[in-house]
Amino acid sequence: MVGIVIVSHGDMADGLLDAAHMIVGEQEGLATVSLREMDAVEGLMERVATAIEKVDAGDGVLVLVDLFGASPFNASARLAMQGDSNMEVISGVSLPMLVELMVQREGESLEKLVQVALEAGTSGVRTLSQTLNRTTS
Amino acid sequence: MPVMHVRMDNRLIHGQILVSWNAEFKIHHIIVTNDQVAADPLQVTLLKAVAPIGATVSVLSIKDCVAYCNSPAADNENIFIIAKFPEDGLALVEEGLDMPVLNLGNQAYVRGSKKLSNTVYLTESGVKALKALHEKGIRITCRMMPPDPDSEYWPTVEKKLPEWAT
Repeated sequence: MVGIVIVSHGDMADGLLDAAHMIVGEQEGLATVSLREMDAVEGLMERVATAIEKVDAGDGVLVLVDLFGASPFNASARLAMQGDSNMEVISGVSLPMLVELMVQREGESLEKLVQVALEAGTSGVRTLSQTLNRTTS
Repeated sequence: MPVMHVRMDNRLIHGQILVSWNAEFKIHHIIVTNDQVAADPLQVTLLKAVAPIGATVSVLSIKDCVAYCNSPAADNENIFIIAKFPEDGLALVEEGLDMPVLNLGNQAYVRGSKKLSNTVYLTESGVKALKALHEKGIRITCRMMPPDPDSEYWPTVEKKLPEWAT
């Protein structure tokens, strides 16, 4: 099964995982890493690498980060670009993205789950009025 | 004045820069300058990839950064310089950059450094560089985000690390 690591500023990663547990229950192969204000990017890279090792069962790892270009992204991207492990980094992690990955990841490839994450992350953002208009017109 | 802001930040381009500082200034050009970073192709590729919309990113050695900022090409740009350590700031000035203010951003713990705050740890060599900058009349500030006070930070360094500052 593809491993999942969530890397965020502050407590967001732990909060997201806590929320996801309420919707899909607890699962193996998930880890979180938090950036604290005193952290160096190099120290963050080490902690992300440790988390990747922990969840990697041989099928690859998805690293979900909060903000494109920010330190959680940069640290994860540098690890991915070093090329030591089979991983992809996706920014803009959200609850819709995370829960969809959690329900679909059994038996799916890393490449397929990247598409699942992108679609769930995008389709999770919508307004009530657009949704109502579509169903009533 | 083309160079709007000069910041020493170990994290280089990251969330605070892309969100808060980019909203404060209309940044046209982010120049990341540090000789080691400029010589690391992986970091150069990544830094250029995270350029905010409407801005370009260059990763240059200290010498090339100063040469660029003093060239006519820089005249019509709002430039935001990010270096890594106080020593880079001193090197920029010694190389000929006109820098009235040096802002300290994130300075994470490294071996031998001492704590000034949760976000700022300085080495002896870093403090000596700040002292040299202060003595050249350059104002040292310590603002993580734009709303932080732009008060003179050197007295704090002197007070907290007198063993290195005096």
